[in-house]
Amino acid sequence: MSKALEVKNLRISFKVNEGTVKAVRDISFDLEKGETLCIVGESGSGKSVTAKAILGILAGNSIVEGGEIIYRGDDLIKYTERDFEKIRGNLITMIFQDPLSSLNPIMRIGKQMTEATILNGRTNRKNAKKDYTTKLDQIEKAMSAAGCPADRVREQLRTFRAMAGEASRLESAYHLARDYADSAVLSIEQMLVDVHENDLKRMQPQFRELDEKIEKSYDPYLLPKGEKPFADAVERLHKAEQTYDGKDGRQLTDCLTALRDELKAALGRTEPDFFALGYTIQHGDRTALRGLDTDGMNALARPYLDERFMDGFLADLASALRHSAQQALPLKEKAAAAIRRALPVFQRETLDKAACERAARELTELTGRSIDRLSLHKNTKATTFGTTMEKNLRRYFDGVVNNPKELRREARQTEKLKRAAARKPDVGKVTPAVLVDLDLTRRNIVTAMEELAASYEQELAAGSETDYAAQAREMVEALRGMSYTMTNKVSKQAAYDKAIRIMEDVGIKEPRKRFRQYPFEFSGGMRQRIVIAIAVAANPEILICDEPTTALDVTIQAQILELINEVKRKRNISVIFITHDLGVVANMADRVAVMYAGKIVEYGTARDVFYHPAHPYTWALLASMPDLDTKEKLEAIGGTPPNMVYPPKGDAFAERNEYALAVDFEREPPMFQISDTHWAATWLLHPKAPRIDPPKSVTDRIRRMREREEAANGQP
Amino acid sequence: MDNREPILQVRHLKQYFGRKDFKAVDDISFDIYPGEVFGLVGESGCGKTTTGRAIIKLYNITGGEVIFKGQRISAGPRTFTDAIAAEKIASAQRTEELKKAGRTDEAQAEEQRLAAFIQEQKQAAKEARRDQKDCVKLYRERRQGEIRAQYEPKLAAASGEARHALEKERDARLKEASRENIVTKMQMIFQDPVSSLNPRMTVREIIAEGLRIQGVRDEKYINDQVCQMLERVGLVKEHADRYPHEFSGGQRQRIGIARAVVMKPELIIADEPVSALDVSIQAQVINLLNDLRHEMGLTILFIAHDLSVVKYFSDRIAVMYFGKIVELAGSDELFAHPMHPYTRSLLSAIPLPDPDYEQRRKRIVYQPAIAHDYSQEGPQFMEIVPGHFVSANSAEAARYKAEYGL
Repeated sequence: MSKALEVKNLRISFKVNEGTVKAVRDISFDLEKGETLCIVGESGSGKSVTAKAILGILAGNSIVEGGEIIYRGDDLIKYTERDFEKIRGNLITMIFQDPLSSLNPIMRIGKQMTEATILNGRTNRKNAKKDYTTKLDQIEKAMSAAGCPADRVREQLRTFRAMAGEASRLESAYHLARDYADSAVLSIEQMLVDVHENDLKRMQPQFRELDEKIEKSYDPYLLPKGEKPFADAVERLHKAEQTYDGKDGRQLTDCLTALRDELKAALGRTEPDFFALGYTIQHGDRTALRGLDTDGMNALARPYLDERFMDGFLADLASALRHSAQQALPLKEKAAAAIRRALPVFQRETLDKAACERAARELTELTGRSIDRLSLHKNTKATTFGTTMEKNLRRYFDGVVNNPKELRREARQTEKLKRAAARKPDVGKVTPAVLVDLDLTRRNIVTAMEELAASYEQELAAGSETDYAAQAREMVEALRGMSYTMTNKVSKQAAYDKAIRIMEDVGIKEPRKRFRQYPFEFSGGMRQRIVIAIAVAANPEILICDEPTTALDVTIQAQILELINEVKRKRNISVIFITHDLGVVANMADRVAVMYAGKIVEYGTARDVFYHPAHPYTWALLASMPDLDTKEKLEAIGGTPPNMVYPPKGDAFAERNEYALAVDFEREPPMFQISDTHWAATWLLHPKAPRIDPPKSVTDRIRRMREREEAANGQP
Repeated sequence: MDNREPILQVRHLKQYFGRKDFKAVDDISFDIYPGEVFGLVGESGCGKTTTGRAIIKLYNITGGEVIFKGQRISAGPRTFTDAIAAEKIASAQRTEELKKAGRTDEAQAEEQRLAAFIQEQKQAAKEARRDQKDCVKLYRERRQGEIRAQYEPKLAAASGEARHALEKERDARLKEASRENIVTKMQMIFQDPVSSLNPRMTVREIIAEGLRIQGVRDEKYINDQVCQMLERVGLVKEHADRYPHEFSGGQRQRIGIARAVVMKPELIIADEPVSALDVSIQAQVINLLNDLRHEMGLTILFIAHDLSVVKYFSDRIAVMYFGKIVELAGSDELFAHPMHPYTRSLLSAIPLPDPDYEQRRKRIVYQPAIAHDYSQEGPQFMEIVPGHFVSANSAEAARYKAEYGL
């Protein structure tokens, strides 16, 4: 599994009248591909702020004080609004708590659903086209530079372009047909229920819809038109439909089941190797492919492609990659040395503006030149180095110099406070004029530099061992991906079809009618489904759900959760799920992060957190929620969360924690590792701490869970 | 439990809306006994809240009746008009048949009977209207009558000074009874603590508003009551002069509770009081309601959709589905032996904080068309086990009994 998203040492605060609210204080977590991470905590614990930071939709008075959000090798913190527009609602989407306020009340549902698809389709194609051309140009240059004859390079790239183009066209058509076949299966399942109810009136339009879907799911590589068993099944269904009078549905049911099974069989077959097919169609003997099934086609076309073209191309590509990487090596060495040399400038107690800026400029140029444009594994530290330096330096210097007003205010307030303190001690605090933590900023700069130098040194050491053949294969895959996005045109009709299909996916009946309605015509659960459909329509990689079911009741909640799980499984999406309902967490989560007062206090797999909770706050959360067996008085958490303008010294939860140790009020606990997957920030885990067990209600509950588990295992 | 006098009786309550008679609540009946917590669950739009509001007279009910402390406080006219319409059709048919058979005497008798029936129903409707409108006055009169009757034998037995004292005592009680307002004995706590408090009133004004409307003019008494209530719900009296926006969600809900409890109600209708709150605050509010209930002997109609909370808090639970009660039982009994397929589906949808269980949990989908076969015989609300009622027809009832092991 690879990481879809990494959050490192994120700190966010909000500027308000009384000072700055430290909303998120140094949290780190990562999100694997295809997993669900649940973030649990009370309101005000910083859950939603974290989610909003990932999407770049923080409120205007927010300050990101430090940290990184790494996505696809880039740091999202450094993204501009224009950069965010490319990923927001497209690669990362969000579902909000209130389905009413996240829909536009005066726009038809259909428009709202297709809007993003069409817009994103357009920009995606444009971007992919640009990327694809630049990449190919770069490759061409590198290949020539590596010593391949120019004619051969030109010929190879032309072949590749044509082949990739053909493959993408085939694949687009195949996937479209596949989607229709999928949705035909869904409709058949719905129809089976309706036949059972003998609802003739409802059935008639469904037959038409099914016909349409089947018509669109014909594709030479998925369901060749006229394929014997399938055509028979359709034929029989048509006959049964004509004789069906709304009374005896047995014959119809049989036909529908047969058709569904045929469709499922087609969907279950191996996917054709489009690359090989593309080449064979372009350059080879396409008649040989006729009459073969997908496995046969693959077996025939792949070796043909490899022998005639691919092996040679890959070898040339690998040598080009090697050449390019080796060219970059001395530059990297130089840059690393320069960084090491420049470090003392930034390590002083107070920084000198002119010297720092000069050094930063020089280093930025050096690192910029040392980037290997052909490398697939983007060195984030190098690509973002320039902006990091610029931003941090600006913050460091402007924080002091450009704020005379703030300085005056601080002086005035301090004076006032001094006078007041003479009469009555402990009257309050003054918000510092410099809201930037200078030490922290300086540390951030130094760390960025050190990390970059270290990464360069690492690369230099590993330089000779890189497997360029493997990299060449990866490059080909990446190029193919771009080519596919480039070809995959989203027309209005396609967007409509897709929207209808997704509406069916999320369980909205009569999608064609619903498509033309306004949000107010939907119930709460239905609206939330629409919001999910919109979020999913863009085929995101990461789905962030901010309390999507809190306003809904159990049955609808269960349906929505099932829906999110289903979509996640089908499309291999990573989900960040924010909630305060522990039952929902247990249902959804692969891993859980418990947040309190802007920090993650416990982090682990769902089983770790529910069966071996370690932090007193987690205990308190578990104990305060009644489950079906609770009889005794609930142990509510006393008090309220602390005011985060003045974060408490030591552990933020100490004041409400009946198990607090003396040290909890003095020093902040670090993250103690309990197992490979489980961490908690509490002094109770320190080796010298007294042994304290979770409260009885929690241990009782865990015991009951175990018993239930054993009972379930006992009788399978 | 059944030998006690119920504090609230709901009989065939119907609440329809609009010209097309959208049936929000359709013929439901239940009793609530003093001191118990009666949970009402169901998905949104099934009529839980409408039921609560109909009981507290926020709507004019369409049909059926609500009896609170022995006094009918609302009654719907539809019951009588429906009866008249049905009788008219039936009677016309019978008269026709009789006329055809040439038995004119009997036909005439039938017509007379119909006229009498209509008269009777109209009279009943009139009474219903009176009860609906004047329930406060009627309750006062009834209370006074009761007090008089109570003192009658004592007065007859006593004489002289003792008699005088008794008379004085009786008059004081009569005066008290003449101020009693049966409707304020029922109070409501609302779901949304933000929108249910007037933002332009201080907490003191909000809590005291009910008392003032009741005609209390004694400022010191009002002040004492407000402070006492604030402390009772876990706030401090300094909070009295603040405005609602200065409080957190949990504290606002406490103010809502104080406002209801200050009227010294006997029945509280709590409409999703914890649904909008954070987990840790939920527990605080539930504990508070539980304490109040034991100290003040409150009866609570608890409307919610979070089944674990309902299970924890309620003595008996009624499950509603599309305006009808489909199952009613003691809370442990309901969760141990759910009978109606809808209840089963509802219970199977509760997520528990237990990952392994969640992995196993299979949600049961309720599809009325498949779950029931009512083509031969419609469902009725019947008692399968003592205290456990289910809406079922006789075939289903037999099956439920068999599954229960009877």
